[in-house]
Amino acid sequence: MWHILIIAGAIGCAIGAIVARRLLVSALWLAGTSALVALEIYLLGAPEIAVIELSVGAGLVTVLFVFAISIAGEEDLNTHSIFPLPAAWGLVALSLVLLAILVLPRAGLQVPIPGIEQFSTMLWDKRGLDVLLQIIIIFTGVLGVLGILAESRRTAHVESAKKLQEVREEVQV
Amino acid sequence: MPAILIYLIIGLPWLGALLVWIVGDDRPRLQNTLAVTFSVAAGVSALALLPQTSSQVVIRVPAGGIFGDFTFLADGLGAFLAAVATVIGSLAVIFSIDYMKGEAQLGRYYAFILFFIGAMAGLVLTNSLLLMFIFWEITAVCSYGLIAFHNDDPKAVAAGIKALIITQVGGIGLLAGALLVYTQFGTYEISTFLEKAGTLPGAILSVAGYGFLIAAAAKSAQFPFQTWLPDAMEAPTPVSALIHAATMVNAGVYLLARFYPAFEGVPGWRIAVIAVGMVTALMAAVMALVSNDLKRVLAYSTVSQLGYMFYSIGAGGIFASQFHLLSHSVFKALLFLGAGAVIHAVGTRDMRQMGGLGSKMPLVRTVFVIGAMALAGLPILNGFWSKELILESGLSGGPLWAWIIMLLCAGLTALYTFRCVWMVFYGEPRKHVHAHDAGPAMRVALIPLAFGTLTTWLLCGPFAETLHKTLPFHKIEPLSTLAMVEEVVTAPTTWIALFIIALGLAAWWQRERLAGMRAALQGVGKAAANSFGFETFNQGVVQFTRESAEGLRNTQTGYLSWNVAGIIAGLALVLALLIWGA
Amino acid sequence: MNLLSVVIIGVLGLLGVGLYALLITRNLIKIVVALQILVKAILLAIIMAGKVQGNMALAQSMALTVIVADTIVAVLGLALAVQIRRQLGTLDVQALSTLRR
Repeated sequence: MWHILIIAGAIGCAIGAIVARRLLVSALWLAGTSALVALEIYLLGAPEIAVIELSVGAGLVTVLFVFAISIAGEEDLNTHSIFPLPAAWGLVALSLVLLAILVLPRAGLQVPIPGIEQFSTMLWDKRGLDVLLQIIIIFTGVLGVLGILAESRRTAHVESAKKLQEVREEVQV
Repeated sequence: MPAILIYLIIGLPWLGALLVWIVGDDRPRLQNTLAVTFSVAAGVSALALLPQTSSQVVIRVPAGGIFGDFTFLADGLGAFLAAVATVIGSLAVIFSIDYMKGEAQLGRYYAFILFFIGAMAGLVLTNSLLLMFIFWEITAVCSYGLIAFHNDDPKAVAAGIKALIITQVGGIGLLAGALLVYTQFGTYEISTFLEKAGTLPGAILSVAGYGFLIAAAAKSAQFPFQTWLPDAMEAPTPVSALIHAATMVNAGVYLLARFYPAFEGVPGWRIAVIAVGMVTALMAAVMALVSNDLKRVLAYSTVSQLGYMFYSIGAGGIFASQFHLLSHSVFKALLFLGAGAVIHAVGTRDMRQMGGLGSKMPLVRTVFVIGAMALAGLPILNGFWSKELILESGLSGGPLWAWIIMLLCAGLTALYTFRCVWMVFYGEPRKHVHAHDAGPAMRVALIPLAFGTLTTWLLCGPFAETLHKTLPFHKIEPLSTLAMVEEVVTAPTTWIALFIIALGLAAWWQRERLAGMRAALQGVGKAAANSFGFETFNQGVVQFTRESAEGLRNTQTGYLSWNVAGIIAGLALVLALLIWGA
Repeated sequence: MNLLSVVIIGVLGLLGVGLYALLITRNLIKIVVALQILVKAILLAIIMAGKVQGNMALAQSMALTVIVADTIVAVLGLALAVQIRRQLGTLDVQALSTLRR
């Protein structure tokens, strides 16, 4: 019962995220989606991931979005879309139907075998390489952001140098 | 030991290519040194491999399920062709020092040449059909890069693209054959295929056989794919010597020679090979006779001599074809490099603007005449012995009408060769031509080749012995040099052939008297100049490929939504396959 | 309607919303939002698979990897969006296409 409500709520929030006109509102709806998905994950029996998803998905990513939106500014681009709507509906519906045909019949066939391993042992002992690669990804991401956004500092330098030059010329004249 | 040598033969040129490219174009002398060092080192390794040939696989690198094992095998055929490729390759590189002096972008030039040499060596030394195909494609790409080296010249670029498209069409034949073999035997190993070829169903063997024939004909510029080679003369001359005389075009002959035991039983295959070789030899000889571009004459003569080799393979004379391949590589490289010296000195490729250069370029004239005599098949020189062996094996293994035509071609060969030599080195000198003799690096390349032209026929005995021992499926009889000499000298074929060649020479000396006959054959001459209509056909294929590529460009819209739509459509397709497919 | 079917329908629904948004939207930042929605759907699917198989520890490790990767994707995507806004003056996806036709 609760599951149905939570999942319906998650889908509703997702729809809200893409329908919203203002980007800030869209980011907030996304936070709601993350929170509800995290709750569902907790109810399914994965508390560690639920906590991580809540703090990262609903917290960190939302803050990132707010930052980016405030720097980039709002822009009203909700005019006609570039892809014909019926084709979009058709494609998505087709893929979903095919996926459903593939997966749904198998629901209810499994008898769960109770897991014996702890999350922490699994994470650190057996999938230690995963953790290492995640750390590498994080560093790559940081360097990538620095690389992408660093140009502006150079152009800012160039612009401030230009302004200084103009002021100097004015003073001389 | 053979394993290390094989790694060296393939790896040294590739390492050299990388280093030459890294060193940069502002240090041309260092680039020259590096290129020469690495190619000579590869040549030395290849020569060191020759005494160590065997029929066993020497390198086996497992590469995972679907690729099989990457295997290398140093038998007589492969080691010999690797030696030819690397030694003549190094001579061409040495020649390039003088020829390309002052040219820009030497790094790209040397990198492509070295990469090509390594790939060619790999192609002949490998025992895996998949690796052979990969090396085949690498040589095609490198030859494109070298033909279109002067990429600001639209003719060169067009020639490069034409060569690429035509040899790639051939590559499809090779891939189809290779995949068929894989599906039947579950392995790419050539030795397995040769051993068990008889167990394949006839239809599959035929498809593979004709596919390989198409690939070989496209690569070696045989009928009906012959138009790319003369156009490829836009490349710098050392490239022409290397790729179009001594190595790449030999890949087609190698392919047929290697797989002959598998396909000799396919109905009509041998006759098809003989027919392709014969038609090509005749057509190319006629086209060489009417051409006025020095390099084109040599290009057509390459095509014609390759026709001889195809004819020999079709008739069952594997050893004769490989022996002629050895002679041909040496004297054709000599001719091309000599022509390069002439073109470099005179500045034009048009033979009508040359003449009387013999007195100004004595060394080049001497070596060129030696090469020309070998090409025409005059006694003592290596071309004579190998051509006679081919004619003999053709007489015993092939139909009589083909043999007669090949004899006629021998006469035509002599005719156009002497026409070429006369127009360039003898006759009236043109006043406005300033010619100097070959530079030092050019001499270092030309003289060993001339020496080789005079002497490589002596290697017949050891060569035949090696092939006999290391090619278990080919059934090649060992033939010592003395026995070969005896056989050639005593066969009536030889005397008939010499007579025809003498007729060819006489026709040139008496050309004024025969002017009447020439006028009668004017029509044939014009058709030959247009490459017998094949040019238009090939142009059509190239045109079609370019237009369809331009048309397909419209699917690359650059819009995110269309790309995502493509991804989702692909997802739907995969799901549908999973649900209802195999 | 057992638990599994409900979750599967949830996954499909979120996937549908995310894919539709990816196809339709013109705003670059909304595209990052759509990607995030897709990833939430996948997380749900992984956890559900873990529950069904009984191997929750493995599923959680994989889900952690996915969370890390997708956060970095969001970070880089937003950085790119900001920079594009500065260079081109607009967040319109159409403006990004400079392929010569």
